[in-house]
Amino acid sequence: MRGTGELLVTAGVIILLFIGYELWWTGLTTKHDQKQAITALQREWARPVRQQAKIPPYGSGLAILFIPRLGRHYKYAIIQGTSTDDLIKGPGHYPGTALPGQVGNFAVAGHRTTYLHPFYDINELRPGDAVVVETQQSWFTYRVEDIPHTKAKYQEVVSPTDVNVAYPVPDQPDAALAPTQRVFTLTSCNPRYSAVQRIVVHGVLVSTLPRLLGLPPALEHKA
Amino acid sequence: MYAWVWRRIPGPWPAKLVGMLVLLVAALALLFLVVFPRVGPSLPFNHVTVDTPTQSPAPIPSG
Repeated sequence: MRGTGELLVTAGVIILLFIGYELWWTGLTTKHDQKQAITALQREWARPVRQQAKIPPYGSGLAILFIPRLGRHYKYAIIQGTSTDDLIKGPGHYPGTALPGQVGNFAVAGHRTTYLHPFYDINELRPGDAVVVETQQSWFTYRVEDIPHTKAKYQEVVSPTDVNVAYPVPDQPDAALAPTQRVFTLTSCNPRYSAVQRIVVHGVLVSTLPRLLGLPPALEHKA
Repeated sequence: MYAWVWRRIPGPWPAKLVGMLVLLVAALALLFLVVFPRVGPSLPFNHVTVDTPTQSPAPIPSG
């Protein structure tokens, strides 16, 4: 009997440790990966070579994401790819979707409650909020809003299989439809601590500024 | 269980205590570095992508 009790208490402690691991420890490893990805991006961008927008290998940094509504210091390296291994490093760019600033849909998935939970407060985004993406050449400022001429609302809660939201023209059943607008899509799990649904935030590109000119208006609070 | 482990560690009680702590740290390391990282990603609250249930023309991997 005493042995059984010890086993049960041990099991309970292991489960509590696991919760601590998921909510806290995973953030430490992601923080480390983020630091590395941002350093690697800055080193690459500092090279004098002018590069056209190119797709990095899976797991490497693609661009840097700023969302002032989610915090003055909100800054994440966007990682190429949305596999498990990519997403534990940070928000992941859906392969095959547009690159930042391109015509089409720049789609990014991110964790809601674990791995530094970059999209924890994604439900707080409102129309007009800025989503800024920094690349080697440019600052792309997107604005959260309903996507014009489509059914895509600025915020949607959809089924996990609803890939429509990441199509070049979001929520357009015809995936082959040629896009004309430059839009973005963020996806995460919903509700928090669950995965019954996906929460989706959309918006459109409103300005493109050369990176050399310094921070775009939406980030002036950081200057 | 723990009493049995305590008895199995040789030496006077301070040595036993050190032995217990070493075992505890080893167990925690095994959990945090091997077991949890393997179990974690498969849990539902870590799924954040939209994804087709079977195959699609342009598959979007789950994560």
